Amino acid sequence: MVNDSGQLYTMEGVAAGLVMLLTAYLILSTTSIYTPGDTHIPDMQLEQLGSDVLAMMDTPDTDGTKSDLEIFIGTNNDTDFNSTFLDYCNMMASDTDTLHMSANVTYRGEGDQIEEYLLVEPDETWTGRESAVRVTRWVQLNGNPPGIPSDIGASRPRAVLVEVLLWRA
Amino acid sequence: MFSIDFLVGFTIFMVALIAVASMVPGLLAGLQSSGIDYDAVAYRTGVILTEDPGWPVDPPWEMKDQYHKDEIERMGLAVSKDAPNILLSTKIEKFFNTSFFDPEDYRSKVIFGEIPYSYNITLRSRDWTYNHKVGQETPEGYGYIRRVVKIKEPSVAVIDEGFKNQYTISPGDNSITRTFTVRFDFNRLINLSIDPAYRIDPRTEPVNITITNFTAFLNGTASNATLKSVTFRRGSSSIPFPYDKNDTDYYTLRIDNSPDLYPPEPGVGVSSNISLVLKPAATSLFELGPTSILDIQFTFEDPDYPHTNITGIHYYDYNTTNVTRPALKPAVLEVAIW
Repeated sequence: MVNDSGQLYTMEGVAAGLVMLLTAYLILSTTSIYTPGDTHIPDMQLEQLGSDVLAMMDTPDTDGTKSDLEIFIGTNNDTDFNSTFLDYCNMMASDTDTLHMSANVTYRGEGDQIEEYLLVEPDETWTGRESAVRVTRWVQLNGNPPGIPSDIGASRPRAVLVEVLLWRA
Repeated sequence: MFSIDFLVGFTIFMVALIAVASMVPGLLAGLQSSGIDYDAVAYRTGVILTEDPGWPVDPPWEMKDQYHKDEIERMGLAVSKDAPNILLSTKIEKFFNTSFFDPEDYRSKVIFGEIPYSYNITLRSRDWTYNHKVGQETPEGYGYIRRVVKIKEPSVAVIDEGFKNQYTISPGDNSITRTFTVRFDFNRLINLSIDPAYRIDPRTEPVNITITNFTAFLNGTASNATLKSVTFRRGSSSIPFPYDKNDTDYYTLRIDNSPDLYPPEPGVGVSSNISLVLKPAATSLFELGPTSILDIQFTFEDPDYPHTNITGIHYYDYNTTNVTRPALKPAVLEVAIW
């Protein structure tokens, strides 16, 4: 029957409906609390390490000499670049880490095109859950590095970007 | 019929319900993983150790003695603010000296924070000549950072027989004593155009003077020459050197490969080599500035006739024939916090 006493039933019904909807939403939304921030810390540690290694390879051991990095890029010595880089980044106080790397060099080609060539090939290892990180360093060279295709033109002072991909496997 | 009573009451109730319901997500936001916190502290500690020279920086914190330990605000190992990841050997030796620092010092001068963190800091050079550790053993889970660094070691001036022609007396010289001087011209040494990773500064690093193949400097048939004294002068005035052979924190003087240490006035015969290491604890008290000239004089005197013909001034500077600066040594620093 339509009369005033139905108003209380209406309010009760709406409130009950809201409570049921809220509960259902809470239950559904708590099933996956995956914060993407979880991978930031291992990524940061690896990136800091890779950046340190490139900086140390770019520091000459004696005053007035060229740094290892400049020599390796200038002579396209990928074996020594690979072994020195891995030696530095796998060094631990009482153990050895299991990091792998690949590297390429980016340069400005003919007509201002950005091109790159492979310096160290990636080995066939898989990283699993942890991401790989990318660290870079600019290297100043007096002439064209041997890795650049020779049809690029006359040798001139060049700045190239060395890019290293680093992962734990 | 619509009742205003009902509508108003229902509206107020709904508004209140919606307001309370919107506060519910705030109750769930209290999730915090303390593991991330330890990694951040470890990272910060790693930055302080590898990229910061510490505070105070001049005079440096590693020169403070037991009575002034409280003046150390922060312990960093870097050579200077402009040379990150290049560590100074004297700072490393002081930092890992657990008889000087206790765990509370490490917490308040390197790690910081209100919680008393447990820590483990290790430094190892690639060739294992540096292998230092401070702190407890690491548990199963901990915050961690690893930094790759290079270590700057003290320079050495080696004066061997190759210098014989340069440092021999001229034929008409009849003096009884022979004096050989090693000169530190701070105008040349404190050269800001040289990268701090390769700079020579006797006020913060030990300096090593080694005279070898001494037979080349002996006179005729003499088998040895008596080293009467090692003296120090700043410009024209002499510097008092009140240390004896046991003050190894200030200097060490060795003669002829003997394991014994000698006082500044040894009075013994030298036949093959002399090695003097002057440490910054002594040099920093000499009141030397960027324009000072420090002379270390080796005086030889024998009762019968001069047994050696050595003389001259050897400049301790950046000339690679005069002074050898060792190559930077790669190393790894690990910090664990829990």
